[in-house]
Amino acid sequence: MNQTARTHSDRWSFTRLVCATFTGLTVGSVVLMALLFAAQSVPVWRHAGPEYIVGGDWFYRQELFGAASMIYGTVVVAAIAVAIATPLGLGAAIGTAELLPARARLWVKGAIELLAGIPSVVYGLLGVLFLRGWVDDALRSAGYEPIGGDTLFTAGLLLAVMVLPTIVTLADDALRAVPGSQRAAARGLGMTRAETVLSVCVPQAGRGIFAAVLLALGRALGETIAVFLVVGRQDGQWPAHLLSFERLFEPGQTLSSKLGGAETNIAYGDPLHWGAMVGLGLLLFCLVTFASFVSGWLQKRGGQVA
Amino acid sequence: MRNQVWIAGLAWVLGSCGETTHSAFAPLRINGSTTVNLVVAEAAEVVREKAGIEILVDTQGGSSGGIAQVGEGRAEIGMSSKPLSDRDRKRFPEVDFVETTIGQDAVALVVSKDVWDGGVRSIAKREMLAIYEGRITYWSEVGGPNTKIAFFNKEPGRGTWEVFATWLYGDADRAAAVSFPEVGGNEETRNKVAGTQGALSQLSASWIDGETVFALSLEEEGELRVPSAEEIRRGLYPMSRPLVLLTDGPPEGFEKTFVDFVLSPRGQAIVEKHGYLSLTDLNK
Repeated sequence: MNQTARTHSDRWSFTRLVCATFTGLTVGSVVLMALLFAAQSVPVWRHAGPEYIVGGDWFYRQELFGAASMIYGTVVVAAIAVAIATPLGLGAAIGTAELLPARARLWVKGAIELLAGIPSVVYGLLGVLFLRGWVDDALRSAGYEPIGGDTLFTAGLLLAVMVLPTIVTLADDALRAVPGSQRAAARGLGMTRAETVLSVCVPQAGRGIFAAVLLALGRALGETIAVFLVVGRQDGQWPAHLLSFERLFEPGQTLSSKLGGAETNIAYGDPLHWGAMVGLGLLLFCLVTFASFVSGWLQKRGGQVA
Repeated sequence: MRNQVWIAGLAWVLGSCGETTHSAFAPLRINGSTTVNLVVAEAAEVVREKAGIEILVDTQGGSSGGIAQVGEGRAEIGMSSKPLSDRDRKRFPEVDFVETTIGQDAVALVVSKDVWDGGVRSIAKREMLAIYEGRITYWSEVGGPNTKIAFFNKEPGRGTWEVFATWLYGDADRAAAVSFPEVGGNEETRNKVAGTQGALSQLSASWIDGETVFALSLEEEGELRVPSAEEIRRGLYPMSRPLVLLTDGPPEGFEKTFVDFVLSPRGQAIVEKHGYLSLTDLNK
């Protein structure tokens, strides 16, 4: 099959040429974008050097550009989102894949996938409307004195809802990919339904589930407007210790919320400041690409096992 | 996010392909301060209808965004709620910025209801400076309730922030590098201050309603200054500021049509309607 196709396409047909052009354009645009970002951010790398990544202070009037607290914010917000959404999403996926009859499964899955179609700004407004107040009240009753309810935690909580459908759908697919014969064998050995799911299906679908989580992580890293509305946008929120929790319940800044703010417009025209902003885009691009790459790789491996 | 960066990237690519010229049929692009926007958006409605000009009004980046976009040739008219600084002019040496003042406003320091009811009615410059630099963190230290001060800083670069920083430090470039939660436009500032306990922020005086947000008097050399029309007009209130329309060179064509309308009695009535001082008020 493959060989006949090869011999046929040895000649430069019109179709082949058009397809090659489109493929080239698609791949080229990604490469071009990465190069463009790298080239535009050169001034800030020259100006700040490694401080640009490890420095915690960002104050453009003093020409201080350190993205560390934003990288921290981005990673922490995405981690909170995934930490909350994973058990929920996995539970829902087991429900749809293993417990529901086929017809009900489609309905439930469809409803969950609808969540993914809601524009992120709507989530952001819901966050402003409800989450901000709830988090503020919760922190006050816990004895804190918060500056309003805009915190890294609030943003993570909101993102958890937004990435939930990604986890549910992909984990459900991974579980469905486990062959029915495996379940039948497990049940034949006298295992209960719960034992079958937990010790046969979930481990077999493990890679696929992990890939789903990483894909959700990728989405959480890049989300802008919903985070922008509830994260508080405070620079320089680097924690005293990397694992200490005190910053989670304070306002913070993520790479995307910084890029979504007024500074992008202010920076335009000043090569150094603009370079610093584009550099944030480059960092975010690298983070998201890394997450999607690992996720894609695991999904492929997971498919082979199942 | 990625979309925005993409658009910025594309704009850069297109921009470097050749200077885009503004034809007579292209829309009049206005961008800048949310403070000036209230007047301009309403004036644009009228001019669109009367003169049949297509006008796009946006508030990307506040005053600095307006200045930058006029400087880059991406907008014909910039809205600014601060006078142009040497720093701004130096950034775009090839652009001949012309400022047309259309009215006057002031920056007020506003607090939430719990602070106001807790007895804080005025603030001294040195107290504000101490709050800004993190040396005072509780309202009780300035004669108020025992709540933490939730200070929301206007995004540095916005007109409101520049006026505030110039008042505190004499020159916005000397302002301390501080870290506070930041707020953008006036609506956002008002809503966050109204909805947060112990809140304090800088806000255009026209947004003070006395129900959800309350303006503090400024104590300077033993005198209390309030952001009232009378004190702004007489130049007594320290943080008063002009509302400015910026053009590259004197306004021409559609730019002139628009600027002239805002300066006309009908346009000036819009300025007053939004709680700012019109030019006739200023010359009384």
